[in-house]
Amino acid sequence: MKANARHHGKVTVVDLSGKITIGEGDIKLRQAVNSLLDEGRKNIVLNLGGVSYMDSAGIGELVACYKRAREKGASLRLLNPNGKVQDLLILTKLQEIFDIYRDEREALASF
Amino acid sequence: MGRNVRLRLESRIAYVDLVHEMAEGLARAMGFAKPMALNIALAVREAVINAIKHGNAMDASKQIEVNFEQDDGLFRVRVLDQGAGFDWSHTANPLDRENIFRTSGRGIFFMNHFVDRVEFQRRRGKGTEVVLEKRILPAGRAGRGAEVIKRRKG
Repeated sequence: MKANARHHGKVTVVDLSGKITIGEGDIKLRQAVNSLLDEGRKNIVLNLGGVSYMDSAGIGELVACYKRAREKGASLRLLNPNGKVQDLLILTKLQEIFDIYRDEREALASF
Repeated sequence: MGRNVRLRLESRIAYVDLVHEMAEGLARAMGFAKPMALNIALAVREAVINAIKHGNAMDASKQIEVNFEQDDGLFRVRVLDQGAGFDWSHTANPLDRENIFRTSGRGIFFMNHFVDRVEFQRRRGKGTEVVLEKRILPAGRAGRGAEVIKRRKG
């Protein structure tokens, strides 16, 4: 899994690609989000467009990131979950919890 | 008549991807469409993670065994650990409102969703066996898979 952060003013978009699974992807996701929160970033968009699939550990880490962001007074939103990732968010009812956007401009403007 | 592929591995998370890829490849060879093959592989993946984490308690000196079988129109995968056993019968429903923010506890839920049958069996003094089954459809393509498995077995 790769994570690449882009800053658009007060909003940071993290482009994620590959798979978010136990032992690697989940750890990289945690590190990427923790790093932004430690820098004081308050508005984070996780771009899931390049993520092929996740397992229960990846889904769990996504929830953990969401909770850590809230604890630090930050907001974490999702962009472009596709295919299997979208299926898993629907299956776990997490699409009702996360703010999910299809268009990056809309995601950026939502903060 | 069953034809088996058997893996015996140390309890290391690093091997989860290997089992996932093998499950997905065999499912494709049996005629499952790509999205369904991924579903099966995700179910197998969760069973293997459970066996390593909860069965063998991350003890790399303990092994897990994964048996892939094509039998009677079924793709059956058996995952065995050597641990003291874990309680699979009292897992919380991850869809309940009070559990939605939990960061774990979705593995068995995924297994149940992605295959037709999931069965846990505690083997006296030998750990736990998880059996996953998915019916092979369409039946017309199953024979090709059987040939592939036979070839792999050598």
